[in-house]
Amino acid sequence: MLAQNVAAVVCRNETWQGRAATEPYECGWAKEAIVFVRALKPPAVPSSVTARVQISADGMHWADEGTRLTFPDNTDAVAFARVAHFGGWLRLAADLPAGAEITLLVTLHLKE
Amino acid sequence: MTSMDAETLRRALRDANPALSRFDPLSRIVFCDDFDRGFCGWTQLVGNYEGSLDSMLPAYAQHSHPMLSTLPNWDSGSHNGLDGGYALRVQTRPRRGARNTAIKRLTFRKAGPIRLEFYFTFKPEASELLLSETDVRSVGFLYDLQSGDSDAGGERVMPHLRFLNALDGEHVQRWQFKQALQPSRALGNSGKTATHDHLSPEGWENLPGGEQRLCYNEIATKVNWHYACFDFDLSRWQATSFRINDRVFDMSGFAPMRMPAWRNLWCMLNIVFFVETDTDKRASLAIDGVCLSGEF
Repeated sequence: MLAQNVAAVVCRNETWQGRAATEPYECGWAKEAIVFVRALKPPAVPSSVTARVQISADGMHWADEGTRLTFPDNTDAVAFARVAHFGGWLRLAADLPAGAEITLLVTLHLKE
Repeated sequence: MTSMDAETLRRALRDANPALSRFDPLSRIVFCDDFDRGFCGWTQLVGNYEGSLDSMLPAYAQHSHPMLSTLPNWDSGSHNGLDGGYALRVQTRPRRGARNTAIKRLTFRKAGPIRLEFYFTFKPEASELLLSETDVRSVGFLYDLQSGDSDAGGERVMPHLRFLNALDGEHVQRWQFKQALQPSRALGNSGKTATHDHLSPEGWENLPGGEQRLCYNEIATKVNWHYACFDFDLSRWQATSFRINDRVFDMSGFAPMRMPAWRNLWCMLNIVFFVETDTDKRASLAIDGVCLSGEF
């Protein structure tokens, strides 16, 4: 049987301002993930602001995994981060400064 | 050696297979999904749109992807599936009234009797050290069906059933159905795309005799699997039987939503599972094992 290989859209057309995160996604069956991020509308995020990959034992309490990605600066750009050895739960989180916002499409591409 | 008719042989083969013998399928199995094999075609129900995702109804915009879950708990670790490690998990956002869904899309080849069987359980997110038995509003399922393109008087027919566990904190615990149509509206300017929120909170009716106390267990992180079996006749658009565990419900008072056929949905046979939360806490529906069978 071929290995599982799944694209999970975990954030679609949601506008992030301030403290924000994708909904918890349980994917402990996967050994690796790429977090793809697109801006669906022209973003207004300083280039110094990054999003953080977070992991969790229970889908409720979160820790930074260490991987960060810079948000795309236009609607044609694709940002991504590679993650492996992440346990059971993944999410993407960020703290945007006052006045910053971005409308996101976030896809987890997962492989076992 | 004695002769054996086809039905007896079929039954014997099924009973010898633990993965199948937990079901009671009709003569032909269309699919029998075990989530240790992956998602098996269950995906998120994205709302319709045209031109911009902003045209999607908010009720659909909240939907997200189902998960392959070991039902992990902060206090006791993975609960795991009914059979094997994984179950399909649908989880809402942490907002009172939020819902989420999982859908599998196919078409039918004969308008006759079909049977949907599955094992399910539900829980709120265990974010408090409380029983939390009224935090999940409802769990349920529906078919989205449409006549064949050559049928006279084509219809789109949507039988809905939900277990209303709680509403506004009251522990209701009864099965409901919905036949009330929700208004549809066109999307964009092409005249080709439309939408309707058929799962909206309005219009649910009590299934006569549909009160049922399910096994919830004694803390928020213990789950028990329940068996469901729903029979529907595509030739008459009628529910013929509905069973949950040891209870068989009278479906004479049940009616599906019925509306004129939509333009691109001929022979559609979609199955949707859904869950709603009654508090600002995520609610989960887990499914392990789904079997669709038919008489054809």
